[in-house]
Amino acid sequence: MNLKDQWRFVKSNMRRSKSRIFMTVLATAMSVAFLIVLASVGFGLHSTFIQDLLEDRTVTKIEIAGLEQDGNVQPITDKEIKEIEAIDEVKAVTRQQNLYQTPNYTLDNYSSQNQTVVAHFPSEIEAGLELTEGRLPEGSHEIVVGHHFLNHLAPTDVEVDDLYDENNVIKEKFQYDENLIGKQIEMEVAQYIEGKEQKESITLTITGIVEPPSKGWMEDQKVYTTEEVLNEIESFTNTPRGEIVMPDQSQPASIPKGYDAVYGFADSMDEINNISEILKEQNYLVYSVADEIKNINLVFTIAKIGLIFIGTIAIIIASIGIYNTMTMAVTERTPDIGIMKAIGAHPKKIKQIFLLESSYIGLIGAVIGTAVAYIISILLNITLPIIIESALEEQLPEGFQFSSIPLSLILISVTICLLVTIVSGLKPAKRATQIDVLKAMRREI
Amino acid sequence: MIEINNIHQTFILGKKQNETHLHVLNDVSLSIKEGEIVAITGKSGSGKSTLLNIIGGFMKPTSGTVHIGNTNVTTFSEGEFADYRLQNIGFIFQNFQLIPSMTAFENIELPLVLKGLNEKERKHITEQTLQKVGLLDYKSHYPSELSGGQQQRISIARTLVMEPPIILADEPTGSLDSETEADILYLIKELNQELGITFLIITHDEEVARVATKQIHIHDGRIVKEETIQ
Repeated sequence: MNLKDQWRFVKSNMRRSKSRIFMTVLATAMSVAFLIVLASVGFGLHSTFIQDLLEDRTVTKIEIAGLEQDGNVQPITDKEIKEIEAIDEVKAVTRQQNLYQTPNYTLDNYSSQNQTVVAHFPSEIEAGLELTEGRLPEGSHEIVVGHHFLNHLAPTDVEVDDLYDENNVIKEKFQYDENLIGKQIEMEVAQYIEGKEQKESITLTITGIVEPPSKGWMEDQKVYTTEEVLNEIESFTNTPRGEIVMPDQSQPASIPKGYDAVYGFADSMDEINNISEILKEQNYLVYSVADEIKNINLVFTIAKIGLIFIGTIAIIIASIGIYNTMTMAVTERTPDIGIMKAIGAHPKKIKQIFLLESSYIGLIGAVIGTAVAYIISILLNITLPIIIESALEEQLPEGFQFSSIPLSLILISVTICLLVTIVSGLKPAKRATQIDVLKAMRREI
Repeated sequence: MIEINNIHQTFILGKKQNETHLHVLNDVSLSIKEGEIVAITGKSGSGKSTLLNIIGGFMKPTSGTVHIGNTNVTTFSEGEFADYRLQNIGFIFQNFQLIPSMTAFENIELPLVLKGLNEKERKHITEQTLQKVGLLDYKSHYPSELSGGQQQRISIARTLVMEPPIILADEPTGSLDSETEADILYLIKELNQELGITFLIITHDEEVARVATKQIHIHDGRIVKEETIQ
């Protein structure tokens, strides 16, 4: 007896108890829809979190905060940089040092005070630092500036009270409106020498403007300069990183040698994970978005498993209906089963027919349930943000997804549904095989 | 063809404390040759149906063996016997045992479906057999739409499609009027002569026993008379 004939039997049997089968399929479909919709919330929020995380940082970057030695954290120096660069998967290691004073920058009759960092441009180029305009510095007295540098350049001949609008932004008419690229700018650094404030001016050329930060609310008004400029500042201030020693200070604060910000770069998130493992083994303190994603994935995976488990309970409840339907079917068809066995139907074939029937109920239920779940999910994603926004009077994050149904969830749900329905059909199917031919034909069962 | 050796069948009745042993068959031995029509007669409760059920594999004997050809069928599992029945033994029942939700065609086709024949072959064999039993025009009828005689013919046709060497019949005319009974007996005789099928018929009807080539009378679980008719 081939599958096609078994299928013919199943269809013919199911036609005989349409309403009962319909109700069972309906219960199964509802339970599958419940499982999918419930778990889809976990999937939706997970993808929203990950998307949010990836928006502001890059997954191919790893922050190397320091090296742990004898219980102390040491800053990263050139020696460690070389070690890190020697790791196969490391594409680049960028390093920055902060200037320990905020110089005053003057361009024509405009000026501003900006945080200044010393960057290692060759590694920044390898890491893929993008500029919106211009090029990276090539000469010793060339700089690039942050995307919002221009917004802070204020004219020197205007009173402070007139300068800013109600949002504390320089009024448009006072803003610097020329292209910065190629412009010479004066950097003014200060130091107290023998109790008197002395100033030193260094002329720099702006060669590029860095891309804006990924998040709209973040500002980058920094000036990125070179090691040579730092050396010049240090020789003027006679302190490391140009630190200002106030007249009442006897000596500068001790600044540990090394970089303030070190980042490793790779080509993929997997490589970052490997690099992270290697560096952790070597006692480096590292942090990467990949680590955070790993943790978030773990939490959400546990949450999703929990939701799927709760949803599975609904399917198990529905399976009671399938068990009941199949038991009724076996009871109703006992004489027919007896006749089939008398003719020569192998008990295995009879079992297969009933298992096929319960699987079919499960499959149809799963298909309908999945379709319903998709509709509910779409409606949730449309209506819920509107309800939440109107109730809380707050804008939800861009791209917020409350419910998401990936293919994996469909496969998991359909598999669970089929397994549960097959299991619930097992006992009735076994009962069918155990029917006594003589009793069945005498209609005694 | 069929060798029955020292068959005993005992049923245990009642609960453990008050159980009684009912000996339905006592040391029954019998030999049936190929092409014979054997009628087993006896009163109700004499054990004739039990004997048929043991030969057909619906019941295991308490002791003794049944050989069909060279095969000891008493050692078969339920599944093995089902496969063996499908190939070798046909049944005709008193109350026809047709599946009510299937048409005459589908009922006859059923053993061929179980055997795994393709649709074209099944259609050909089924229609040919329907023709043989004179019910081709009734192929789309459900059992409830057929007379007793027609239902028994369908039941015989269902057996014939498998071309079994042995047919076991339990009161095949028990539910039929005398005219239809004669038709069915004629058909049995014809099948025996044309196809050489061995028939083992359980009956208490003298008319049925008359078509047999051998008559066996059972009384209280024992064979009391065995007579070959020329």
